[in-house]
Amino acid sequence: MGTLLTYVETRNGQVKRSSLEVLSRCREIAAARGDELAAAVVEADPARCVDELARHGAPTTYAVRHPIFARPATVPTTLPLTVALARIAGEASPTVLALPSSESVREMLGALSVRLHAPALPDVASFEVKDDAVEALRPVLAGKFLANVRAQGAPVLVSVRSGSYAASEAPVDTTLREVAFDAGEVPSGLSLREVVAGAEGARELSEARAVVAAGRGVRDSAGRKLIEELAEVLGAAIGSSRPVVESGLFPAATQVGQTGKIVSPELYVAVGISGAIQHVAGITNSRIIVAINKDPEAPIFRWATYGIVGDLYEVLPGLIATLKSS
Amino acid sequence: MRFIVCVKQVPDVAAPLQLHEGEIHAETGRLVLNAYDASAVEAALDLTETHGGSVHVVLVGPTGGQEAIRKALAMGVESATHIQPDADAAIDSDGYARMLADYLRDEDFDVVACGKQAQDTDAGLTGSMLGALLALPFAGNAIKMDRDGDLLVVTRQSDSSQEVLALETPCVVSCSNDMNDPRVPNLKGIMAARRKQIEVKIGVRPRGEPATRVRRYEAAPEREPGRILEGDPQEAVDELVRLLKEGHVI
Repeated sequence: MGTLLTYVETRNGQVKRSSLEVLSRCREIAAARGDELAAAVVEADPARCVDELARHGAPTTYAVRHPIFARPATVPTTLPLTVALARIAGEASPTVLALPSSESVREMLGALSVRLHAPALPDVASFEVKDDAVEALRPVLAGKFLANVRAQGAPVLVSVRSGSYAASEAPVDTTLREVAFDAGEVPSGLSLREVVAGAEGARELSEARAVVAAGRGVRDSAGRKLIEELAEVLGAAIGSSRPVVESGLFPAATQVGQTGKIVSPELYVAVGISGAIQHVAGITNSRIIVAINKDPEAPIFRWATYGIVGDLYEVLPGLIATLKSS
Repeated sequence: MRFIVCVKQVPDVAAPLQLHEGEIHAETGRLVLNAYDASAVEAALDLTETHGGSVHVVLVGPTGGQEAIRKALAMGVESATHIQPDADAAIDSDGYARMLADYLRDEDFDVVACGKQAQDTDAGLTGSMLGALLALPFAGNAIKMDRDGDLLVVTRQSDSSQEVLALETPCVVSCSNDMNDPRVPNLKGIMAARRKQIEVKIGVRPRGEPATRVRRYEAAPEREPGRILEGDPQEAVDELVRLLKEGHVI
């Protein structure tokens, strides 16, 4: 019998949706195979996450508790996080260690793979456990194709794109097992000078339930204002495509696509975005895609659930007003 | 600062690609320098032009394909090493990283740079693996790189913020293409590249079967066809809001 261990990311003590999705998928596999299920948390205060993990069916939560994992970070945490997870893996001896495919996981996955002598399948859209191997589908070549991949190892590391599975609840009693961790064992060689946070109160893109994204069609600050108003009325995070980041109209942190964030909201509103393959690669896990573009031939309409052919400067004011009044 | 940039050759993703019996075929058959690696080359050139130093590139790949190296040399890189695996068998991310690490252990450098991922696999493991294999400080997804004395100062894009990190050298950095626009080689650069020697080395491929392998490629699933909402802007907006409410999206 094996163990599926899910690394659970938190933000200010809140468990991230993408992690609950991975945990839910692992629970499904564990139930079908008769495997054990466990969660791994690396936190300043892990106890505050336990209820949420119990509600999502994790009977055991392994936790490393250390103040350096408090947010905002004051020291670089990638290496300590790698060491902490390796420690937990040593304790839990999982057959599979599944992680959400976030920036911080990308930053450490290769190092964790080396440290644990464990093969890694990064950024998969789906995965299953077969005998002693993990089989997965990975979007490649800007999402044009899927690579059907297989990894054998103990454990196999697999990081999962947000939105690939639904998070579901299945309450159980949970046990918190603390795992020893000594920050002194982590080698130095790098220091954190500054954290430039996103805009105050900005919603995190990869976790957002709704995203309003701006493309080349948004030409000026008046256009940006319309995007901000639409995002406000929808309770949405603001995204962007590369041209408006390059023009300086939107910050780099908002970029969505192959080189930016992968998003998976219920609603993605693409405003003045043509739909280059590199952008589309980041949005295909969205449930509903709305495209607003004045060019009826824009490729984005091939991906849109609903399309409006029209000038965003004419369409958005009406959309904002209608949403406000309804 | 002495830079070694690890580069990879990838199919030209701008060219039409076809799926045939589980394999991907590029119509042109052309291999190009991975765009993210091009950003790493540009960043290294940019820093050495300002502060002095040298830029060397290294490629792990079969005989024949040196297109990526030629491109980097034409951009202004001084010298290159082509590591050719000793066996014509599959190599996974771990194998590539280990062959690069074997080479790098014998070299003198201040910074090893690479792209944050390769355009063909989008795996993004190499930089992080190299950091661990060489036991050097690592920063990934760099969007800015600068020098401060003996330190390399890297701004990296994280999930919801940007982190400014100071790395002691030697170190490893993986670069985002948001860092810069790689220069397009001019004729002089292309001519000069032809005269530059490429050192060829035989690399020892890790023994045994790779732990990860691609079984086959499949077409990405299509989305359900959508619909264009007709009418003047307000009519289309009213219909959209109705549909979103009906679908409980808002």
